[in-house]
Amino acid sequence: MKHYRIGVMFSTTGSYSVVARSMLNGALLAFQEAGTVSGIEVEPVIVNPNGELPRYAEMSQQLIGSGIRHVIGCYTSSSRKEVIPCFEKHDALLWYPSHYEGFESSGNVIYTGASPNHHVALLVDHLLGNGRRRAFCVGSNYIWAWENNRILREALMARRGRVLAERYFAVGDTELQHAVDEILEARPDFVFNTLIGTSAYSFFRLFRAACEARGIDQPRKIPIASCSLSEPELEEIGPDAVDGHLSSSVYFSSLATPANTIFTASYDAAYPDGPAVSADAEASYNAVKLLIQSLADAGTDEVRAVKAAVTHQRLNAPQGEVWIDPQTLHAWLTPRIGRSTRDARFEVIVEEAAPTRPDPYLVQSSPRYALARTPELKVVK
Amino acid sequence: MTASRLLQNFKGGRALIVTTNRAAVEALETTLAKLGVVSEFPEIRDGRAELDLAQLDPERDILFVDGDLDDVLGLESGPAGRLPAVPVIGLVGVEAPSRLKSLVHLGATSFLRKPVHGAAVYMALFLGVNQFQLRGGLRARIDDMERRRHGRRFVIKAIVRLMSQAGIDDDAAYDLLRRESMRSRLSLEDYCEEYLRRGANEPTRLAQGDTPERRANRD
Repeated sequence: MKHYRIGVMFSTTGSYSVVARSMLNGALLAFQEAGTVSGIEVEPVIVNPNGELPRYAEMSQQLIGSGIRHVIGCYTSSSRKEVIPCFEKHDALLWYPSHYEGFESSGNVIYTGASPNHHVALLVDHLLGNGRRRAFCVGSNYIWAWENNRILREALMARRGRVLAERYFAVGDTELQHAVDEILEARPDFVFNTLIGTSAYSFFRLFRAACEARGIDQPRKIPIASCSLSEPELEEIGPDAVDGHLSSSVYFSSLATPANTIFTASYDAAYPDGPAVSADAEASYNAVKLLIQSLADAGTDEVRAVKAAVTHQRLNAPQGEVWIDPQTLHAWLTPRIGRSTRDARFEVIVEEAAPTRPDPYLVQSSPRYALARTPELKVVK
Repeated sequence: MTASRLLQNFKGGRALIVTTNRAAVEALETTLAKLGVVSEFPEIRDGRAELDLAQLDPERDILFVDGDLDDVLGLESGPAGRLPAVPVIGLVGVEAPSRLKSLVHLGATSFLRKPVHGAAVYMALFLGVNQFQLRGGLRARIDDMERRRHGRRFVIKAIVRLMSQAGIDDDAAYDLLRRESMRSRLSLEDYCEEYLRRGANEPTRLAQGDTPERRANRD
C-alpha cells in the first residue's frame, strides 16, 4: 500500500477566511471519500498561512522540504504568484482550486477553478442582453480586480457598453460609504464588484441600505454583478442585503445534478456549522478527486507522471463533467449565472449547454489590440 | 497602426525560431501554442538560417534569434543598417557584451534567457512586438520630420514671394499660407512647394482673398 502525504494550504483565518474554510472543507471531504483508492493511502497535511503573503512561501517551502510533492491550496492570485517559484524550483505541483484572472500557465500548477473566459463572457452577454450597458466597477486593489475590470471593459466596449468609473480599495477595507455615494451619483446600469472578503460584504450591506434610504429598488435598478460571489459569502452579507445579486460562476450549490445532490448532502453532514459550500469548495473537492485518481493511475507521486495521468481523467463532478486541458493544465468547466435568493443560495438563470474550453490568455475572445483609453482625435484649429 | 494601440492578443501569429538548441526553447514552443502562435524552426545550413527575410509579414511573423549563433541571418555581412521588417526577440545564452550587441544590432526589442521559462514568454512577446510597433511609429515620424525639414526652404521662399508681391508682412504671409495649406489638406511645406510651382500670379490673387475654392464657386 503506497502512502502519500498531500499538502493542504488555505488561510482559514484572516480577511478572506470564509471562502478559504469552505475550500478546506471541500478538499477534506474528498480526502475522506477517498478511503483507499486502488491501493493508495493519502494523508492531508494542513497548514494555515493566515492570509499573510510571506507565510505562503515559507509554508510551501516547509511542505515541499518535508518530501511532499503535491499541495492543494491558495485562494488569492497574489498568494499563488508568491508560491509558484518554490513549486517550480523543487518541481512540485500546486493544485490551485479557485477562479482567477488568467494570463498564467505554469507547468507546476493544475488549475481546477474557472478561467477568465468562464466568468466574464457569459456575464457580459447576460447584462447587455438585458439592456445594461453602463458599468461602475468597485474592486479590491490587486491583480484579480485590475485584470477583471480590464477584461470587462474590453468586452463591454466591443459591444457599445461603457465603464463609468473604477474604484479600488485595500483588501480588508470596509469604509466604503464614499464609493456607494459616488455610484448613486453616477447611476450606472449595474455595479461590477471585484471586492473580496470583508470589503465585499460591507459594500453589499452599505449599498443596499443607501438604495433603500433613497427608495431605489437596488436589485432591479442597479444590480451588483460579481465573478466571485459564493454562498458562504451571501451568509456573511446577512439577511438585509442578501438577495438579487448576480454571480457568474461554474458552480452553485443549488445545481440539480445527481453528483451535486450527493456532494451537498455529504458536505452539509460533514460540516453542519459551515461555511456553506461554494464554487471554490467544489473546485477544491474536484482538485483532490483528480489528484487521488491520478496518483492511483500513475502509481507514483512523481510530478511528470501525475501530470500525464491527470489529463486522462474525466471527473463526474458536482457541476457536471470536468477535465483538464492538456495544453494549459486548466479545467474545462460549465459557465453559469446565478441570482442570489433570500435563503443565501443562488437560482441559476443562465447556463452553457456543455463544458467550455479554458482560455487563460483569452486568445479566442479578447480583441487583437488593447483599447485606447482616450479617443484619437486630432486638434485641427 | 498608431503608437498608442497595444497588441495584446497574438492569435494567428507565426514564430520563426532560429536556434540550434531545440531543448532550450521547448517551453517557448509550448507556451506560444497556448497563445495561439505556431512555431517554425528554419533550417540552419553552414551557419545561416534558410530564411527569406523579404517574405516575412510584420502583421503575422515574429523572429526569435539565438544570440549564440554568429550572424545567423547574414545581416552583419550585408549592407549596414538593414533590419528585419518584423519584431525580433533575442534568445540569450552567453551574456557577454559581444553576443548581446549582435542581438541589439538585429533590432531585438525584447529578450528571453535560455533555457526559456514558460512564464516569461507572454511578457517577452508583449514587449517585443509592441516596442517594435512603437519604434516603427517613431521611425515614420522621424521620416516625416525629415521630409518637412527639407521643405523649409519652400516655406521661406513662399513667404518672401508673397510679401513682395502682395505687399504684406511676414506674419500675414505665413498666416495666409498656413490657412490655405489647411484648406487644401496639405502640410505647410507641401503647400508652399506646390504654390511656388504654380507660378507668379497665384500669390497676388491669394492675398486678395481669391482662393481656388472661391474661384470655383464663382465659376
